Amino acid sequence: MIRMAGLSGLGLSLAACGRGFGGGDDDAEGDAVQLNMVWWGDAVRAEKTQAALDLFQRKHPGITVKTEYQDSQPYKDKLATRFAAGEPPDLLAMRTDSLREYADRGALLDLSQHSGILDLTGVVENARRLGMVGDKNYGVPSGLNSIGFVVNKTLTDKFGVAIPDGNSWTWDDLAAFARQVTAKSGRKVYGTVFEAATLANLMVFTRQRGEDFYTADGKLGVTEGTLVTWLEMIEKMRTEGGFPPPGFIDPSIGSSPDKSYLAKGTVASQIIPTNNFLTYNKAAGGNLVLLRMPGEAAARQRGQSIDTPALWSVSSKSKHPKEAVTLLNFLINDVDGAKAAGTTRGVPANSTIAGEIKATLAADDRTATDYLIGLQAEKLPPSYTYPIGSSKLYGILSSLSSEVEFGRKTPAQAAKEFLAGARAALAK
Amino acid sequence: MSVSSDASTRAGTPTPPRVDGVTAASIRARKKLRNDRAGYLFLLPWFLGMLFMVVPFFASLYLAFTDYNLLNPPGWIGLENFRTMLGDAKLHQSLKVTFVYSFVSVPLSLAVALGVAMILNRGIRGLPVYRAVFYLPSLLGGSVAVVLLWRYIFGLDGVVNQFLGWVGVEGPGWTSDPQYALTTLIILHIWTFGSPMVIFLAGLRQIPALYYEAAAIDGANRFQQFRSVTLPLLSPIIFFNLIQSLIASFQTFTQSFVMSNGTGQPADSTLFYNLYLYQKGFTEFDMGYASAMAWVLLVIIALLTGLNFVAARYWVFYDN
Repeated sequence: MIRMAGLSGLGLSLAACGRGFGGGDDDAEGDAVQLNMVWWGDAVRAEKTQAALDLFQRKHPGITVKTEYQDSQPYKDKLATRFAAGEPPDLLAMRTDSLREYADRGALLDLSQHSGILDLTGVVENARRLGMVGDKNYGVPSGLNSIGFVVNKTLTDKFGVAIPDGNSWTWDDLAAFARQVTAKSGRKVYGTVFEAATLANLMVFTRQRGEDFYTADGKLGVTEGTLVTWLEMIEKMRTEGGFPPPGFIDPSIGSSPDKSYLAKGTVASQIIPTNNFLTYNKAAGGNLVLLRMPGEAAARQRGQSIDTPALWSVSSKSKHPKEAVTLLNFLINDVDGAKAAGTTRGVPANSTIAGEIKATLAADDRTATDYLIGLQAEKLPPSYTYPIGSSKLYGILSSLSSEVEFGRKTPAQAAKEFLAGARAALAK
Repeated sequence: MSVSSDASTRAGTPTPPRVDGVTAASIRARKKLRNDRAGYLFLLPWFLGMLFMVVPFFASLYLAFTDYNLLNPPGWIGLENFRTMLGDAKLHQSLKVTFVYSFVSVPLSLAVALGVAMILNRGIRGLPVYRAVFYLPSLLGGSVAVVLLWRYIFGLDGVVNQFLGWVGVEGPGWTSDPQYALTTLIILHIWTFGSPMVIFLAGLRQIPALYYEAAAIDGANRFQQFRSVTLPLLSPIIFFNLIQSLIASFQTFTQSFVMSNGTGQPADSTLFYNLYLYQKGFTEFDMGYASAMAWVLLVIIALLTGLNFVAARYWVFYDN
């Protein structure tokens, strides 16, 4: 699903052509520069992004933006092929786990060279670091998010199960809650579900046990013991009934909110990226409660961190780096642009802007924003840039965790194999 | 080509041979030239297509010996990619999946295709309609839409499990349980028996009714007729279908890509060779390795096809 947007852009470039046959290319001052911007997401995000881009083009009549978007998985593949073909987009959404795969191979522009255009003073240190490799800056968070637990209050009310207190609950509380929901619904609704292999989930659990999933120098910090405990905890919930039986999660469903089990009403709670709260809430009937991750209060160190759904990066081969950085600066620092774009990519990275758009948000949208602003005020462990090869880790864990799910491997075996596989993937 | 049309040609007045030999030869030569030209003209699209094929073809041969991450220029590493393959457990898993899939689904789908073709060959009214209906799945089977449809049929609360529920059986996760996921894809493949069926049907129609009559007079029952008349006379067609289906099944990609969202899950049970190749090239940025894998697949298919041609000497019967 690729859409070309911006009829206004078409009009402008036609006008530029009309001026004469000479040149053709657009390095001359005053001619319209066309930027290509790509990202992943859905139609709602497209609409909001386009609204912001329309504002940008009005403020910068010399620049037109042609944008393309896709779902996250095909996006990843398409981006790789575009770089391989030597025709990378100018401005692009970059996954945090792929940043170094591109940056270390020289595919991305060091944004610190353009500090005259790009103003990052409003972005807090922890957030800015998400796009840093050494002292070079290859990406700016398009917004900030974290993960959270959502509970469908309509279902818990129906079955008379109390929702635990999100600020103090433990993983045991989650298991007890889930068990109750499943039992009281007569196994029609399962208490909770989340993917064992989603690294963001496992990372919170790892940090709570006092370890870093990735260490500051880009090594694997998670221990075998933590992996075993994580997998065993899920299997225990499964045996007790709070977690759905093997085979419940269909690998073909994908991760879109409207196809989630939460939306179908077959589970009562789930872990989500907070920037998707709005969409999940809409899909699940509008009565979701957002809790912090379990185990935060009792943990050795806080597990949650401030992350970004995507970084904005500029290709090092862009013919118009200045204009691309100008657009990037607009996306980060322009109040009107931020208002138009809303919180589809998380809370704005610029905290001044975040405060300003908060007032304009719908009540629904404020839930996740408040949640994140609350987290930002606390002292959380930093997240480090993912080392090269990290995009392979999900695949390795996903295959092993389904072996555990179907009883073909013990958690101990899976943990051992994961560590071996992950180390090999990161070493390469 | 039927008996009657042959007979009428033979019965028609033969054209008298030309007296002037030279003229006849030059006419023949001109005719041949015209024929050749037509032939090359028909081949032209293929040649044009080949231009687009040849470059990537040899490029991938070169890349197979390099370390190429799509972003930096490829670097020569000799046989390293092939050496890595020997110890790559995931690659071995993908080979296992592909071999199991091919060796189970190809014979089964050919058997179904032949069975349906024989039923249709018994002169049912409305044959073209049936033929079209049975052929339809093989046009659609590899398409995304149909695989999506199958997801709903075989989903945890899909049609199949609802039906099983009525008879008191709790159905498994056909696409989410590693024990069944590949089976589901094999069933999908068998369902697309249409194109070998159409070819079988054409082959069956070429077997003269005469042989069956003779066999019946000799007291052969239906099974004996099938074994001693149908199978030997149809063997070239079976051979053709076998080769075609085997090659196609080794290249399976779409079905598992859609069914598992490109992951080969659950537990790598639908990790087809081509899907793994794709993952290597496009999600892990190891295009050198992916190219090497493509060439290994080519060799595997060539070997299997070669083996089949050798084996064919012992079971394929050519009439003429």
